Amino acid sequence: MRRPSLLSIALALTVLTAIAWPAAAQDKPRSGGELIFVVPSQPPSYDGHQEETFGLIHPLAPHYSTLLKVDPFDKTGTKPVGDLAESWTISKDGVTYTFKIRKGVKFHDGSDLTSKDIKATYDRIVNPPPDVKSLRKAAYAAVQSIDTPDSHTVVFKLKWPESSFLLNLASPWNFVYKADILAKDQKWYEKNVMGTGPFTFVEHVKGSHWVGKKNPHYWDKGKPYLDGYRAIFISSSSAQVAAVRGERAHIQFRGFTPADRESLVSALGPKITVQESAWDCALMVAMHHEKKPFDDKRVRRALSLALDRHAASKTISKIAIVRDVAGIQVPGTPWATPPDELEKLAGYGRDINKSRAEARRLLKEAGVPDGFAFTFKNRGIPQPYEPLGIWLIDQWRQIGLNVKQEVVEASAYHPMLKRGDFETAMDFQCGFIVEPDLDLGRFLSNSDANYGRHKDTVIDDLYVRQARATDPEERKKLLRQLEKRLLDDEVHVMYTLQWHRIIPHSSKVKGWTITPSHYLNNQLDTVWLAE
Amino acid sequence: MHKYLLKRFLLMLPTLFGVALVTFLLIRVIPGDVVELRYSGDRGAVSQELLDRERARIGLDQPVWKQFVTWMGGVLRFDFGTSMWTGAPIWEEIKLRFALSFQLAIMATAVAVLLAIPLGVLAALKQDTWVDYSVRVFSIAGLSMPSFWLGIVLILLLLVVFKWLPPMVYTPFWTSPTQNLAQLIWPALAVGYRYSAIATRMTRSAMLEVLREDYIRTARAKGLMQKLILSRHALKNAMLPVLTVVALEFAFLIGGLVVTEQVFNLNGIGLLFVQAVAQRDYTLLQALIMLVAGAFIVVNFMMDIAYAWLDPRIRYR
Repeated sequence: MRRPSLLSIALALTVLTAIAWPAAAQDKPRSGGELIFVVPSQPPSYDGHQEETFGLIHPLAPHYSTLLKVDPFDKTGTKPVGDLAESWTISKDGVTYTFKIRKGVKFHDGSDLTSKDIKATYDRIVNPPPDVKSLRKAAYAAVQSIDTPDSHTVVFKLKWPESSFLLNLASPWNFVYKADILAKDQKWYEKNVMGTGPFTFVEHVKGSHWVGKKNPHYWDKGKPYLDGYRAIFISSSSAQVAAVRGERAHIQFRGFTPADRESLVSALGPKITVQESAWDCALMVAMHHEKKPFDDKRVRRALSLALDRHAASKTISKIAIVRDVAGIQVPGTPWATPPDELEKLAGYGRDINKSRAEARRLLKEAGVPDGFAFTFKNRGIPQPYEPLGIWLIDQWRQIGLNVKQEVVEASAYHPMLKRGDFETAMDFQCGFIVEPDLDLGRFLSNSDANYGRHKDTVIDDLYVRQARATDPEERKKLLRQLEKRLLDDEVHVMYTLQWHRIIPHSSKVKGWTITPSHYLNNQLDTVWLAE
Repeated sequence: MHKYLLKRFLLMLPTLFGVALVTFLLIRVIPGDVVELRYSGDRGAVSQELLDRERARIGLDQPVWKQFVTWMGGVLRFDFGTSMWTGAPIWEEIKLRFALSFQLAIMATAVAVLLAIPLGVLAALKQDTWVDYSVRVFSIAGLSMPSFWLGIVLILLLLVVFKWLPPMVYTPFWTSPTQNLAQLIWPALAVGYRYSAIATRMTRSAMLEVLREDYIRTARAKGLMQKLILSRHALKNAMLPVLTVVALEFAFLIGGLVVTEQVFNLNGIGLLFVQAVAQRDYTLLQALIMLVAGAFIVVNFMMDIAYAWLDPRIRYR
């Protein structure tokens, strides 16, 4: 056998290097370019502390930093990492959180950020002045005091240990504002933008677009990679798809429907990359506990047993933005119940005939053997309310129930729920961070969002205990108990299918990872454009 | 003439008041309000206390008559207040969109007039020939196709065949004429075609009527050239009903292109209307309706002046 010559070895090495080089080069972030993204909603004001729409988060988040943020590369959207906080410690009793603030961070006006700014921001969120709205104030009810022992240390003291506290400090809404500005005018940030984020503000043309440009003094050296970004406001879903298809925009960060995904993939082929995730949004059926026969838990249980969630997961996911069978937490995230355990709950089993036989038995036991007629109120929004509403009615008819659907216009829907003007109705929620405390507070007996009006001290107690549990395993156990009580023992409410987030985006967009919440990962500091 | 104009002008005031009153009351009949919508959000867990506080801040806790009196007081001073959704002055919200809608209305009108008048005249002159039939098919097709549908077809055609999409963001004409026209020419064509269909049919029938008048026959008998008969005697007299259609359509275009603006993502008055209704932004919606009503009233007033100029019988009545 002839030994390979030096020349042939060199040639082979060159070829191998050439093959390997593009992949390596592609993975290395490239600086430059303007990211263009579509925003389907618009910011009512510029103040993150007092707004609720992603229409604010998407264009404004790149201008700001938060104390902590959710790891932009964590697909579960549950891992807090430092943003302005360089490090932190938690006392053994779980009530003292000490944060070391990064040095050398500058506001866009050139001034230095200190712990004073963090304190002023959180004072505004936790204890807002009378004329300032702080929509998420309730999430910080445990905070007793906020102190700044030195210019780069902040200490939060809590009244009781709270397992969700760290993640609540990673809330994407908690933009850190400048203390001096807040001291002069607490409302200044409603109409102005000035943070420490990776991009500075250029312009906002209402109803049209929003522009930001690279902050050359950003604390994380080398970032951001983009020269700037442009958010285009487009309300019509067909125009949003056209914008991506016509390569007028790279991405839309909220989500598209399965049909939109198919149309973009077939039109653009490899120019489109699709990222998908379970979405931290859920549609539930609220049943009015003060109206007969929904005051009877056997009837409520029968309604849940009638649903073939596993079959629907396969079929409806082809036409609607839903997919996974889920309990009270987003599937695939740390607090979610594993599928095999979930199947033990009423209406989650795989044998639908058995479940429906049980449902009929329960109806007979409750004194309605031939079923009964009732009205189901649904929200007048096509996705995913419409297909899920039709599915629910079909499923309930399978056990002999006569259901009439009444579609209520979207803007009149919430007042209707609050008035309790329904027998059964579609209830909804979307989380901005994946955290049980945020999702489950609505099921407390005294909650404004407990539309079914159940009174259950066991749920109230379990909620408080899980919220204060410092051991994750203990918390999981309590959450399972709460879930069983809520969805199986009492069936106060029934979950349909978990929303499913689909982001088809230009393959040029790199460094962005989908998370279960469309409120997360919009700072854009890690995003770059290939080519 | 002056008395005639003064009378027409004074008639505008009660009309505007009527519009203001009806608008104010009707939009409050729609269920839900701006506060509920803005703060109920996806999580829907905002306290009643916060909602009540916000309603009081923007005056929604006041009796309806009191709200109306306050608003009318502002209107009389040309102060339409601030948007209940964004808190920005109403005029600031409207002026951004008005430029686009106004330009689009002008462009669509130009497309319509340039198509309608020559085609209408030609069809009348060549009545019952293949030319007439072709013009009639063309105009009936225009009437049958909604402009937003034509817009969707245009967008798909550009996307599928030319792999190109018009710009999604409005650029003022003076900043970049090419960018501006690249965005607006397509909706102008879609809207202008439908608009031209109505005007073509009106021009044709008006011309046919005028061409049968005694004074046209007299002009022909005197041996006047066909071109002069048409331009001096026939067209001017046939223009009265055409002018009415064109003018009213122009006023409609200022705020009526709701779906077309969505299809082309145009940041115009039509889209603002939809937002204002969806967000229950009463102050903005009232101002928009007053703006469109004002546009109709002003256009009508200008038409009255034009009638008087075109037809001396009106002036001297």
